[in-house]
Amino acid sequence: MSGIVLHDIQKSFGATKVLRGVSLSVAQGEFLSLVGPSGCGKTTLMRIIAGLEAVSSGAVQIAGRDVTALRAADRDVAMVFQNYALYPHLTVRQNIGVPLMMRRLSAAERIPFIGGLLPGVAEKQRTINADVANAAEMLGIGKLMDRKPAQLSGGQRQRVALGRAIVRHPMAFLMDEPLSNLDAALRVTTRSEIVALHRRVGASTVYVTHDQSEAMTMSDRVAVMMDGLILQVGTPEDIYTNPQDLRVAAFIGSPSINMLAAEVAPDGHVTVGPVPVGVGASGHGPAILAIRPEDIAPHATGIAARIEHQEYLGESLLVHARVLDSGEQVICRLPPEKRRQVARGETVHLRPDPAKALLFDGDGRRLGSRVLSLEDAHG
Amino acid sequence: MQSRPLILDLPRLALLSLAAFVVLAPYIWMVAVSVKPQDEVFKASLSLIPQKWALVENYGKVLATIPIWTYIVNGLIVCFGILFFQILFAVPAAYALAKLNFRGRELVFGFVMLGLLVPYQTTALPLYLGIHQLGLLNSYTALIAPFTCSVFAIFLFRQFFRAIPDDLINAARIDGMGEFSIVWRVVLPNALPAATAFAIFSVVAHWNDLFWPLIVIQKGDLYTPAMGILAFRSVEAGEDYGALMAAALLVTAPLVLAFLLAQRRFIEGITMTGLKG
Amino acid sequence: MATVADWGPASCPWKTPMADVAMQSPAVKAPTARARTLRGDAGIAWLLTLPAILAYCAMILLPLLAVLALAFTDYEFGARSFRWIGFGNFADMLGDRSFSASIRNTVIYCLFVAPLSIGIALGLAVLIEAGARGRAFWRAVFFLPVVSLTVAMATAWQYLLHPSIGPVNALLRMVGAGTPNWLGSSDWVIVSLGFIGVWENVGFNLVLFLAGLTAIPRELYAASEIDGARSGWSKFWLVTWPMLGPTMLFVIIITMTRSIRVFDTVQTLTQGGPNNASEVLLRTIYQEGFHYFRFGYSAAITLVFLVIVLGLMLIQTRLIDRRVHYG
Repeated sequence: MSGIVLHDIQKSFGATKVLRGVSLSVAQGEFLSLVGPSGCGKTTLMRIIAGLEAVSSGAVQIAGRDVTALRAADRDVAMVFQNYALYPHLTVRQNIGVPLMMRRLSAAERIPFIGGLLPGVAEKQRTINADVANAAEMLGIGKLMDRKPAQLSGGQRQRVALGRAIVRHPMAFLMDEPLSNLDAALRVTTRSEIVALHRRVGASTVYVTHDQSEAMTMSDRVAVMMDGLILQVGTPEDIYTNPQDLRVAAFIGSPSINMLAAEVAPDGHVTVGPVPVGVGASGHGPAILAIRPEDIAPHATGIAARIEHQEYLGESLLVHARVLDSGEQVICRLPPEKRRQVARGETVHLRPDPAKALLFDGDGRRLGSRVLSLEDAHG
Repeated sequence: MQSRPLILDLPRLALLSLAAFVVLAPYIWMVAVSVKPQDEVFKASLSLIPQKWALVENYGKVLATIPIWTYIVNGLIVCFGILFFQILFAVPAAYALAKLNFRGRELVFGFVMLGLLVPYQTTALPLYLGIHQLGLLNSYTALIAPFTCSVFAIFLFRQFFRAIPDDLINAARIDGMGEFSIVWRVVLPNALPAATAFAIFSVVAHWNDLFWPLIVIQKGDLYTPAMGILAFRSVEAGEDYGALMAAALLVTAPLVLAFLLAQRRFIEGITMTGLKG
Repeated sequence: MATVADWGPASCPWKTPMADVAMQSPAVKAPTARARTLRGDAGIAWLLTLPAILAYCAMILLPLLAVLALAFTDYEFGARSFRWIGFGNFADMLGDRSFSASIRNTVIYCLFVAPLSIGIALGLAVLIEAGARGRAFWRAVFFLPVVSLTVAMATAWQYLLHPSIGPVNALLRMVGAGTPNWLGSSDWVIVSLGFIGVWENVGFNLVLFLAGLTAIPRELYAASEIDGARSGWSKFWLVTWPMLGPTMLFVIIITMTRSIRVFDTVQTLTQGGPNNASEVLLRTIYQEGFHYFRFGYSAAITLVFLVIVLGLMLIQTRLIDRRVHYG
């Protein structure tokens, strides 16, 4: 049974189309990241899954149930907001307890003071408190229960927000850039905590972020969004090594993938300028050869480029070079010990690894390619 | 949520319209009655449009009976006179309290806070005695002088001036400005929103004030608009509603029109400063 | 806390401690360390504050002290001498029927105007905030009474409430209800004045509430929905009401201090009548002082008035310090 299924979701605000037909399915228990530049529609998509925003067309299913017409309160999803959205007038205990209170107590039973006198309320209140204490224990915030959000640090607030989400064991978890308000160090440790929490809770999780490293490190699968469309969904490895769209290739990876103008000759050989690169493709005409920095290196023969600059990162060396013929910039990631072998101003011949080279057509669509031996090309 | 279809919005709009009607009722009938002849007014019908228009009679009667323009001009003189002195006194003091270090600053500010707690009606009796002693009853001075020191203005301007970067003032000093030029040429222009808000608040408060003018003014040619209406009521024995509404409309119109032209500024000004009402 | 969220960045070049402005918290703030102590500072500072200090002494401080003194004398305006009579004036108040009527009426008026104008304003603010249509229009309409000349509008109300020719009673006659003499009967007069007071104050409170409402983060409503708040009603009690806490307290105190100062409508419409049924505090001060010229007695009543106002302000600062700051 599937966790969350989105079917051809479209959403417009007035004349602006924010989502232009998004389909996606998140498996039961899966952790999926929605990643993309700001304004790509990822937050809107998440709010649609949550029920905070209505779709213009399309359908949302959660746990096999069509919830398109249901409001957020009836969808059984939990959400962690970017600014946590804790109730400032309630203590940590009360904040975490709100979802249980709203669900387990009737309107009359929720009335302050008087509600507590109704039969059975004390018992319900006890189970709520026990569940809240469990959630708080899981997150290590048991000592903060009587504080108000204003008295907590950013990281603590974040945990309270997580606590409010997990306390009622929802069918799905939604997280909207939950780490963006934390400082860099805390962000890295919280990442792994969220992943561990997800494993314990086991609910389908959709995690919105603009930070590709969060998406890559935390997720089972990553969905890359741009301009209101999902360009590609896949495992982090798949997205990185096998992007189906030039925009995906360019968005994922740091430093960015190198892009070189290439030409597919009528016999299927791909050349960059005059240099054959050992890659074959069907069809012919202009194309773009994309190659990750770690997959291109100086070689005896190859694309002539002048070294402009190098960055020593400790575990690797980034060499910035400029292709002599086209003026395009190329970055190579080399083992750090190469540092002494390349010098600024020197001309080198760069050779992309044909097995890793990615070929795209002029519209950014991936072209099929195969490895040719360079001898074939010369022959 | 933003663009809810009109049909679902109707109950909300209906409720708001009903409340708006109650709020606007006195204005609606003020306008309607001010153009009705007396016999129609006494018919007590709910109709708003007069069968016979009495616009000229009613407004003519107002203009013939009381010098309403004089009242309005008095109102303007008093309001802007008060405002002028309030700004003149409060701005330099607020600047000193906000940006200069001097012994006694906390004491001065303490007195400002004390002044904020005292409604002006409290000091009416001694002020009347003093003005009487000086022989200044029935004068613009009597209407203006008691309000020249607005602690509220000092307080408000001080809050705003504190937010002005010290570097701006230091730059002005390096450019050769004295403290007086800094106050009027650098600090005040940079606190214009606060000044506008305060100006609106002050003018509205004093245009509408009745308590103080009633105490110090007995001569008709110095009546403020509020007093003018009271006087007209007693002259007319209060039963010629057509003319009475015409007079009421004439003195209400200036501020209401100004409000309609600059709603945002008015609302900002009065609510922000409205704690001294 | 932002009671006046309208005060947007456009009109406020630097971040200003609006809380201080809006709440008028009389707690003196700790001096900010502005370490510029050149020798010329003190002289120029006193020069700059001098006009204000002089005006303050003449118009506020000395008169205030004089009222304090007057309240313990039997001074009558025009008399050549006076005697110190201690608490005599205050003792007289206890037996003064018109004074006790005045206190009673003022309290009734405040207890009528404050809850109604606050409740109605809150309801209208929530209604306005609930949709996008005509926001500025509604706000302007309800605010109109605040900028209108009270004396003139009171006259318009007098016509509307006129027992025989007024539209209100014409309407009541149409539906067959009773037609009270709104401003002329001692049973109805304070209610009628109170109604006009509500009419005057709703717009003011409404604008404060609107500002408070827009300051509530949208995300809290989203969170409450996710947490299971289905109806507008439960969202109101979970989010809106507690988040309006600071605004609410401010509005209550403002409305109380505004309505305790009721004078214009009473002076215009009823002159305290009939039979003292609409005598209010400020009018009693005015009447005793400037009609009967009993300055000593009037000053004593003024002190009572002042103490009530100060008491309200004290409650305000106490509560603000303690409760409503969520940070």
